[in-house]
Amino acid sequence: MKRRFRLRFDEMRNLVKFVSMVTLILCVGAGFVYGKELPPVKIGAAGPFTGDLSKIGLDALNAIQMAVEEANAEGGISGRKIEVAIGDDMGDPSKGVLVAEKFGMDKNVLGIVGPMNSATVSAALPAYDRAGLVIISQSATNPDLSERGYRVMHRICPRDDAQGPAAARFIAEEIKAKNVYIIDDKGTYGQGLADQVAAALNQIGVKVTRGQITLEDRDFSPILTRVKAAQPDLVYLGLSNPAQAAGLMKQAVGLGLSAGFMGGDCMKEKDQLVAGAGGTAEGMYVTAIGRDIAEVPAAREFIKKFEGKYGAMSVFSGQSYEATKILIEALRTAAGDNPEGLTKAKALDAVHNIRDYKGIMGFPIGFDEKGDVIGASIYVYQVEHGDFKEVKEYPAEV
Amino acid sequence: MNEMLAQLPQQVINGLTLGSIYALLALGYSMVYGILRMLNFAHGDVFMVGSLIGWGVLQLFIEEGTTLARSGLVLVSMVCGAVIATSVLGGAIERFAYRPLQKGSRLTTLISALGASIVLQNVAMLLTQGRAKAYQTELVISSDWAIGALGATISATRLIIICVSIGLMLAMDYAVTHTMLGKAMRATSQDREAAEYMGIRTQQVISAAFVIGSGLAGIAGVMIGLYYTQVDFMIGFSAGMKAFTAAVLGGIGNIRGAMAGGLVLGLAESLGVLFLAPVYKDVIVFSVLIAVLILRPQGILGKPVDEKV
Repeated sequence: MKRRFRLRFDEMRNLVKFVSMVTLILCVGAGFVYGKELPPVKIGAAGPFTGDLSKIGLDALNAIQMAVEEANAEGGISGRKIEVAIGDDMGDPSKGVLVAEKFGMDKNVLGIVGPMNSATVSAALPAYDRAGLVIISQSATNPDLSERGYRVMHRICPRDDAQGPAAARFIAEEIKAKNVYIIDDKGTYGQGLADQVAAALNQIGVKVTRGQITLEDRDFSPILTRVKAAQPDLVYLGLSNPAQAAGLMKQAVGLGLSAGFMGGDCMKEKDQLVAGAGGTAEGMYVTAIGRDIAEVPAAREFIKKFEGKYGAMSVFSGQSYEATKILIEALRTAAGDNPEGLTKAKALDAVHNIRDYKGIMGFPIGFDEKGDVIGASIYVYQVEHGDFKEVKEYPAEV
Repeated sequence: MNEMLAQLPQQVINGLTLGSIYALLALGYSMVYGILRMLNFAHGDVFMVGSLIGWGVLQLFIEEGTTLARSGLVLVSMVCGAVIATSVLGGAIERFAYRPLQKGSRLTTLISALGASIVLQNVAMLLTQGRAKAYQTELVISSDWAIGALGATISATRLIIICVSIGLMLAMDYAVTHTMLGKAMRATSQDREAAEYMGIRTQQVISAAFVIGSGLAGIAGVMIGLYYTQVDFMIGFSAGMKAFTAAVLGGIGNIRGAMAGGLVLGLAESLGVLFLAPVYKDVIVFSVLIAVLILRPQGILGKPVDEKV
């Protein structure tokens, strides 16, 4: 009995050996065959896809994915498929760095669309620079970002030091406000923009009072009570969350505050701001860092397709789509006939050399030496009958 | 100084409104802690679910920018919808996330509570796609209904919130001190084993505490929606923190303490803003907590606990 068992045990051992060998050979062989096909090119999508700002993040991510799907249908990058690698930073600078490190370690990630928030870009820039990984931010407007000498930095939105003075000019010349209360959310973007507006207003000689809230605030009674006491003609909102602005304006009505409102580019969001404020946003002004793409003929097809698939579109969708398309275009140029030789360095050069890219934004896009967009304008919109109506255009000059 | 005085009445009203909402939430925290000695960190998220359900019910009544029924009916339906949903949810969390772990250490249930909180938050995020939901408060309670006194605007919304909360708190206080269930709760919180020998079904008492606490959180959720005019999946976290602070402030486990703690906290938050920038309001709140913990560790109305051997 015992002998028999041993025999079977040995047989089994041989069998196991044999099967392992065969599997190993098959695996190596398969690897060899598959190795012939080039790995997909990955485009990193960095942004707040969960957390407080997930709304704008998801608007962007959907657009990025749509642009990549379209590019894949056209044959990808010289035959190599494109994949979206998702890096969720939750709008948190410390997570933004982790996302950058992760992308930097993946040798197939050749370019990044994002990060979206000025604070996350600011924190993650050194990591992207170390990795030599080119980034195109669709919405980080803080001026400092492109002044720090990082070559990987690119953005397709004009800076706050173009937007702030334009807003101040509009406040002084068109609204003719004498006393402005500026509220910001302490964020790199919100406070940065508010600083720019305040500085420009001070220069013109308009009285400015400042106040702050935090990104987590939902109760605005404390600040609004202060605003009411200051009796301003206009309240300027340097906030990054349109839903917060909507809540603030509604609560202002509850407190009997009657001043007008104005906000930055982040506010230009129909669903969260206009619908969210339930009529109280009527008459409000917002500056925008690009024309409403609904008015750009080249964007019509994109809007139709996007809204058919994901519902309402926001300003971030259009800008993310454009940034992704530019990155893909650059990668194609860099790849040429040699998709295998595509490197991060080549991708960076190609993005840097983009000139006169005609997409859906309504103006030819190129980058200057610092990576800032060339040729953009600042637009002022007013909410009228629940929609944004263009009232003024200023060239984006720094 | 003059400006400060001018703001005072309004900030007091703001503080009372906020404080009464904190108090309602703190009640649920304190009740559960009193009976189980456990911190129910999912409480804030139950409150968030309540506010979202209230929003959903409100949408059923709204068509083309007007409400289909009278304000009172709409409000009652919102509250009922939210209370039913949160009570069921609270009961379910107790049954499936805490009861199986009751025999384990207190840390186990604490972690389970954090887990439940994360699950609720993320489910809500997926269902709302991360968007804030706007309460059309102005359609239900017109913003014209307001009393002006001493430079403060007391809107009908605030008045309703304060009155309803105080009514509920008085009712809770009566229930705990004068009804059989209240007696059973107090007995269970004092000594669960002994209460069981006396024929009290402590498991049912625990369930009841969760269901009632969650129901109150549901009402608070609807109220916060009406007050803030918008809600999203993240509001549970900070509200939960404030309610927890209020409960500790008043003496955790003590029902009246929770109410007092909530009101003190709301007032501290609003009045502190008179002296410091509004951006520091959370700093004020937690400074008050630290001060109370140093000077009176058992909380405002709490009794010193003898260390059990």
